[in-house]
Amino acid sequence: MGKPKALVDKGKCLACGGCISVCPQDAITMCSSKAIVSKENCIDCGICIQTCPVGAISNEVY
Amino acid sequence: MKYDVVVVGSGPAGSVTARFAAESGANVLIIERRQEVGVPVLCGEGISKKVDDFKVLEGRRWIANNMEGARIFSPDGAMVKLAADMAGDETGYVLYRDIFDQELARGAIRAGAELMLNTCAVDVLKENGKVNGVKAKQFGEEFDIEADIIVGADGVESKIGRWAGMKTTLKPYDLETCVQYTLSNVEFDKEYCDFYLGKKIAPGGYVWVFPKGKDIANVGIGILASLSEPGMPLKLLDKFIDSHPELKKGEPLRFLAGAVPVAEPIESVRDNLLLVGDAARQVDPITGGGLMASIEAGEIAGETIGKAVGEQRFDKKMLSPYEEKLENTVYKKLKRNYVVKEIVLGMEDKTLNMLADSLKDYKFDELSTLSLVKALVLKHPSLLIKLKPLMKLSKM
Ligand SMILES: Cc1cc2nc3c(=O)[nH]c(=O)nc-3n(C[C@H](O)[C@H](O)[C@H](O)COP(=O)(O)OP(=O)(O)OC[C@H]3O[C@@H](n4cnc5c(N)ncnc54)[C@H](O)[C@@H]3O)c2cc1C
Ligand code: SF4
Ligand code: SF4
Repeated sequence: MGKPKALVDKGKCLACGGCISVCPQDAITMCSSKAIVSKENCIDCGICIQTCPVGAISNEVY
Repeated sequence: MKYDVVVVGSGPAGSVTARFAAESGANVLIIERRQEVGVPVLCGEGISKKVDDFKVLEGRRWIANNMEGARIFSPDGAMVKLAADMAGDETGYVLYRDIFDQELARGAIRAGAELMLNTCAVDVLKENGKVNGVKAKQFGEEFDIEADIIVGADGVESKIGRWAGMKTTLKPYDLETCVQYTLSNVEFDKEYCDFYLGKKIAPGGYVWVFPKGKDIANVGIGILASLSEPGMPLKLLDKFIDSHPELKKGEPLRFLAGAVPVAEPIESVRDNLLLVGDAARQVDPITGGGLMASIEAGEIAGETIGKAVGEQRFDKKMLSPYEEKLENTVYKKLKRNYVVKEIVLGMEDKTLNMLADSLKDYKFDELSTLSLVKALVLKHPSLLIKLKPLMKLSKM
């Protein structure tokens, strides 16, 4: 089984950039007005999940 | 592609920087990843009338509503009013932020800057450890833009600084996570911007109601990310609206999410590189307002860049006057207000109630966070001890 990583629900993301500004790993980028997590860099610290104002991020096991 | 200056981001910070750099003779390109400047709006749209002093906006099309003052509501509902001396005098505006941003960008273009939309910076270019341009992407194609000076005006994400090796990552303790509705068909006093405080209302932040017109208002919430939970801002804002009948009957015309840095300003100058606006965390940590500081800093940044291009010197030393001038002006206020932010965060709701009650009938000489702090110290000399570091900063 893989490790859990943050995953953005594209249907919910409103492109505020908050998650990007707090990610200690620089693992998130804005792509076509949606935040996208790079699985390689994410350490699943959960900071972005707590920060998202609309609850668009969860952690998923890949 | 080679320019004297490439500015990443066409928000207020980027456009004002570009304008003043271009006016002093630099060859400037702004790149913006959006397809329309200022759209979508991510803002409460409130600004002090002092913006008029900067002479960067023409006409009045960007103003939605004139404000007489602000009202702060404590957790138990006591109201503190900060208003203009005379009824009818205006102290601030509620904006059309999209038109506001477009007017600022127009000012830059008129001064000679070029603007490229749909163009996203994806990395910085480096040579011998110094940045010398950005890698950009437009309609799926990547290309290099070389420049002597790179300006990171890329807002809260502040990736340009990060890619250049600066520490721009925010602590959750230094970020307000926000949502906002623009509600139509609501009732309220059109002359006042209202702020609601309280741990149950908005932990580490506040709810705002900024009237854009007779029956339309921006109703939003900011919560300190370290005190938040996934989706909490949206849940608490819906709860607030539900408990206010005058707002509950409204229908949303717009919904947005936003993120506001409430940190101390960070390092903003390196060889060939400047950060301006939210990217440099130039936001008032008490109010979360960043428009005025972005314009103020943008003007200084643009002038500094103009001199650098004139002398064809782009090292950190040449660009440092930007930061030095800010230290003596904008940063004094921001640093003082960061101390106030920490004090207020440590207060219980009952302390806030007590303070608001004592200021109920106080006449404020000026509508500013400073006049609020002064009033608090007058009424509560015991607060002076906590505020001492802050008073020192503001006297300098
Ligand atoms: C919900 C909310 C309410 C607010 N309310 C108020 C208020 O009432 N009053 C006030 O004074 N301030 C308010 N603010 C703060 C204010 O909006 C900011 O301080 C201000 O926008 C900062 O301007 P800026 O130019 O630094 O950044 P921005 O306005 O964020 O502009 C950054 C620009 O850079 C672009 N960009 C980012 N990355 C890239 C890239 N890689 N490549 C190309 N382009 C890029 C973005 O698309 C954007 O156009 C609020 C903020 C939020 C989120
Ligand atoms: S914090 Fe949430 S809404 Fe904001 S950009 Fe990240 S995923 Fe999207
Ligand atoms: S979980 Fe942590 S490391 Fe992973 S994307 Fe979110 S903030 Fe970054």
